[in-house]
Amino acid sequence: MSALAAYTIIGLSLGGIFSLAALGIVLIYRTTGVLNLAHGAMGMFSTFVAWQVFYGWSHPFWPAWLATAIALLAGLVFAAALGLALEFAVFRNVRTREPVVKAVITIGVLLALQSAASLIWKNNQYHLPIYVVPQTWVWVMPGADVPVGANSILIIAVAVGLAFGLGAFLRYTSFGRAMRAVSDSPTSASLWGVPVSKVSAVSWMLGSLVAALAGILITAQGINFDTTSLTLLIIDALAAALIGGLVSLPLTVLGGFVLGLLETYPTIWIQSIGFPRLVALLVILAVLIVRNPRGFAAVAAK
Amino acid sequence: MTSTSKLMVRVALTLVAFTVLARIPAGFDVGFKFDAALAVIWAFGLLSLVLLTGYVGQISLCQATFAGVGAYGAGMMVSSFHADYLVAVVVGVAAAFALGVVVGLPALRLRGITLAIVTLGIALVFDRYVFQDHAFEWFTGGSGGWRVGEANVFGLRMDSSAHLMAAYVVLLALFCLVALLMVNLHDSGAGRRFRAIRDSELAAATMGVDLTRYKLLAFGLSAAIAGLGGAFYPLVAGSVSPQPFWLFTSLQFAAIAVLMGVRYVPAAALGGVFMAVVPDVLTRFGHGTFLGHQYDISYDWFSIAVGVLLIIQLIVLPDGVWGDIRNRVHHAWAAATAIGTRKVKVA
Amino acid sequence: MTMLRVRDVTVRFGGIVALDNVSLDLNRGEILGLIGPNGAGKTTMFNCISGVIRPDGGSMYFDTHALTYAPPHVRARLGIARTFQNLQLWGSMTVEENLMTPMDALGRRNTFSDALYLPFSAYAERASIERARAILHVLDLTPYRRTKAGDLPAGIQRRVEIARALAMRPRLLLLDEPAAGLDAQETARLGELLRAVRERFHVSMLLVDHDMSLVMRVCDYVYVLDFGKMLAKGQPASIRNDPKVIAAYLGEESKKLAEDVETVAATRRDELPLLQVDDLAAGYGGLEVIRDVDLMVRPGEVVACIGANGAGKTTTLRAISGMIHPRAGRITFAGKKIAGASPEGIARLGLIHIPEGRGLFPTISVEDTLRLVSNTAGVEVDISAAFELFPRLRERGHQLVGTLSGGEQQMVALARAILSRPRLVMIDEMSQGLAPTVVRQLFEIIRVFREQGIAVLLVEQFVESALDVADRAYVFEHGTIGLSGSAAELRSDRKLVAGSYLGTAVDEAPMARANGNGNGHRIDPSLLELMSVRVPAKLKRALEQRAETEGRGAGALAVELLGKVDEQ
Repeated sequence: MSALAAYTIIGLSLGGIFSLAALGIVLIYRTTGVLNLAHGAMGMFSTFVAWQVFYGWSHPFWPAWLATAIALLAGLVFAAALGLALEFAVFRNVRTREPVVKAVITIGVLLALQSAASLIWKNNQYHLPIYVVPQTWVWVMPGADVPVGANSILIIAVAVGLAFGLGAFLRYTSFGRAMRAVSDSPTSASLWGVPVSKVSAVSWMLGSLVAALAGILITAQGINFDTTSLTLLIIDALAAALIGGLVSLPLTVLGGFVLGLLETYPTIWIQSIGFPRLVALLVILAVLIVRNPRGFAAVAAK
Repeated sequence: MTSTSKLMVRVALTLVAFTVLARIPAGFDVGFKFDAALAVIWAFGLLSLVLLTGYVGQISLCQATFAGVGAYGAGMMVSSFHADYLVAVVVGVAAAFALGVVVGLPALRLRGITLAIVTLGIALVFDRYVFQDHAFEWFTGGSGGWRVGEANVFGLRMDSSAHLMAAYVVLLALFCLVALLMVNLHDSGAGRRFRAIRDSELAAATMGVDLTRYKLLAFGLSAAIAGLGGAFYPLVAGSVSPQPFWLFTSLQFAAIAVLMGVRYVPAAALGGVFMAVVPDVLTRFGHGTFLGHQYDISYDWFSIAVGVLLIIQLIVLPDGVWGDIRNRVHHAWAAATAIGTRKVKVA
Repeated sequence: MTMLRVRDVTVRFGGIVALDNVSLDLNRGEILGLIGPNGAGKTTMFNCISGVIRPDGGSMYFDTHALTYAPPHVRARLGIARTFQNLQLWGSMTVEENLMTPMDALGRRNTFSDALYLPFSAYAERASIERARAILHVLDLTPYRRTKAGDLPAGIQRRVEIARALAMRPRLLLLDEPAAGLDAQETARLGELLRAVRERFHVSMLLVDHDMSLVMRVCDYVYVLDFGKMLAKGQPASIRNDPKVIAAYLGEESKKLAEDVETVAATRRDELPLLQVDDLAAGYGGLEVIRDVDLMVRPGEVVACIGANGAGKTTTLRAISGMIHPRAGRITFAGKKIAGASPEGIARLGLIHIPEGRGLFPTISVEDTLRLVSNTAGVEVDISAAFELFPRLRERGHQLVGTLSGGEQQMVALARAILSRPRLVMIDEMSQGLAPTVVRQLFEIIRVFREQGIAVLLVEQFVESALDVADRAYVFEHGTIGLSGSAAELRSDRKLVAGSYLGTAVDEAPMARANGNGNGHRIDPSLLELMSVRVPAKLKRALEQRAETEGRGAGALAVELLGKVDEQ
């Protein structure tokens, strides 16, 4: 029994990571209409900026918590700027194009960001991540004998909190409504007097912030901190996002947990680094072929 | 122009292109010859996208995976079964074709972004799992991958060093042949059916096009083309590893195919050169001093350029670099030939 | 004789019964009409017959073949072709290629032999080209043979769509709202074309459309659906007089809404114009669509813009609201110059534009859409006022706008317009695609605008209804204003009104003489026998070309030639 519980806890931890990654993707999709394949890369770059501040530029006299806070702030500020830059330089010019074209554009953003990071911070295999909560804070769940890191709990809490918070924001506030209107039909929104450019800019900044937050927390957890690992999470993030129908933020988080469990349980029998990716793919296929949630109407149509 | 004379012009142009391009790497060192051969291999990958995305409108982010399957298939035949290299190539292509048809099955139900996601998943699963896990060692040759020495194709000796030129020439010949077939395909009845699927699947189905058959065929053929290039990789590089066929190569294929013009065959050739030759040339010669500063152009610069250029191109030139050139030439030609012709009234 | 037999077909979407045990028969050589109000189920029936939807119950037979499980391409092989309401042409391919594709899809073509130009493919290719040219000639499309389908104007595209369907050698042609978006003149030409096509190609047709004049003029027999059930069937004349049909679909006679017109117009005549447009020119890409457009709307006025398709009405509205940038001219609204300003800024000044397609958000619910008004108005708006005006929307409050019917969507658009308390509302084709009863309800809403002192600029095809409710009107012709005046003046101009949809008395006697080849040549009905003999395409074309040069009908020429043969 405790072995099963242990695997469940590991699975839920992993699921938290997927949830957090998927949240940002669904948020951006719902508010801009773009499926952001560069999401991991954006988070990665902002995390590197925070890393640079923490390990490269912080003053030796500062206590750890201050340095961490400053680094975190720097990362988030950069993320907002990155989102703003993307809206003005790129996405404002392609508002009326098909979703596929916009997704291909994100491939361009992905390649550019990844290589830029590699250029600036050298493509070493492994960088030391930033620990928002100390690694030593660990809690052992009774009856399971598996230590659960505080960071892991933080990830889950942030994922769930953001899901409900952002979900409510989109559904019930007037700005959230405006964001949904802009992503649904930018031309109609402008005829309604909605300031499309401003709303779109906020959408990208928000999405970028979530990506940065996810990047910092996730790299402290168990995913390698290098230029490509966060991007490679994309398949698992997309699987979770699809379980949520690309629409519902809470369901996306649920999807993340389900996926985490589905990827962890088989490791009881199959020891393989790559096998979980197959699980993610099968989940994607299952969801796409069986379900047809309303968020898909636009996605699947073109 | 009748279709026969069009055909003859195309054949002539292809032959000219082949003769010119075949000679180019002769004077350079092995490194450059390798780049040239790699350029053709990558051009096969881009050509596969021209067929699948350019002609049939199906998006795919796993073309490098098909090339990889071709590479591993060929490597396996040579190293495990000691087969003749020609047989190895055929097996590699067949394996890629089979995988292509399998990947085509979800495409029957999905379009656009959802299809892109599935192919992305395929690329990752093969990259991280099939090409790396020891459960598939029989196919991949273990962590070291297959090693391939010398081979004998069409009576020519070729390998990855002294006889690399022969491999390049054979690759180029095959590419020219496949490119020619594809251009013919575009204007033919089958090409029209493919393009009808691209422009309006609904109308195509209603007008009698068997969507299942043609979509699966498109995926299979596309995978086979990518696999054909990949099948020569072990010979040209001496060994196979997962790295050249990982997810980011597939993404680069998509980016460069779109950048150059995903509907045009010559764009594939252009893209291949761009992918293989340009970065190497840049890293080799791209360093020195400029205005007192040391600079060193690495591969990363190339990759950034691809990303940025892709973004710019999609905003400004939807038809791609080659597409734009071609359109300008056509307009100029049409304008030039219109001057000086009187419009004859048709009775 | 019965080519298509549909028996007791039932289709359910979730809880809604779209079709309820509907049966119909189509005889060989017939043009059958299927009409009904929006939501009546005619599109659903159409989709069942063409293979897009599978019915939940009932059966369909085409000659002896059971149709229920056949996928679309198999139906194509059986001889069923269809056109699409929103034109699914293959835009990147030339017109010729568009026609050749169905031909060779139905033949036995093979990818490899095609790529290698093997003799079989080359021969089949030449045959296809010949046939395509013949069809293009009949439909007057030869000048466009090598043009990309996507580059053609909409009217020509429609003909290409029909030509493509004919390229399949169909026995049954399904036409899905072929008159959508066409004005009265174009619709009349379409009717002639369809009859000519029937003669020349021996094709039976099933026609689904809203345009009553087309259906009455062209069809031999009509089925009427309402709420998924068969309401009536019969010949066009009897359908038109059937009281059940009139009540459900044609609605009551239009009431004159004109009572208050004079009062309002009189009181505000001296105020400065709310909207003033001078010398406006605008277009798309390299084309200039409108030029020298002058118009004016006073506060509280209702002004109508009428005119044929393509005359520039929509472009004018778009230039005013900022959707497109004007090339020349001045636009002043409430004293401010707005030419070239952004749509958002213009909307916030109080100038609202409801475009064609209604400008709504498909994935947002009705309530949220109405609440969105608060964003733009800057103040909290009470959306319950909208529900009082449109009670039907109240129960649909949480439904996504994209799932509403056309009429309900238009209600949402109008509700939003009222809630935002604008000074001027521009409405483009409010009645498009809606059944006459719904349209009448919507025109009533214009009165509400008037009561609240909101000015209205209305682009409309329903000339009579528009003139009923407007103070003044502008008539657009070829990109500029041709005629303008008070509504009363224009209403009395019989020629003007005759070209409209609702005012005309339907021509009871169907076209007595069929057209020889669809391009205006007329032949004697007794020659129909002759022309229906299968003559090789080349010979027919030669006859027609010869006839054109001699300036007479091909049929007459054929008769003369045959007469000469008989004499010998």
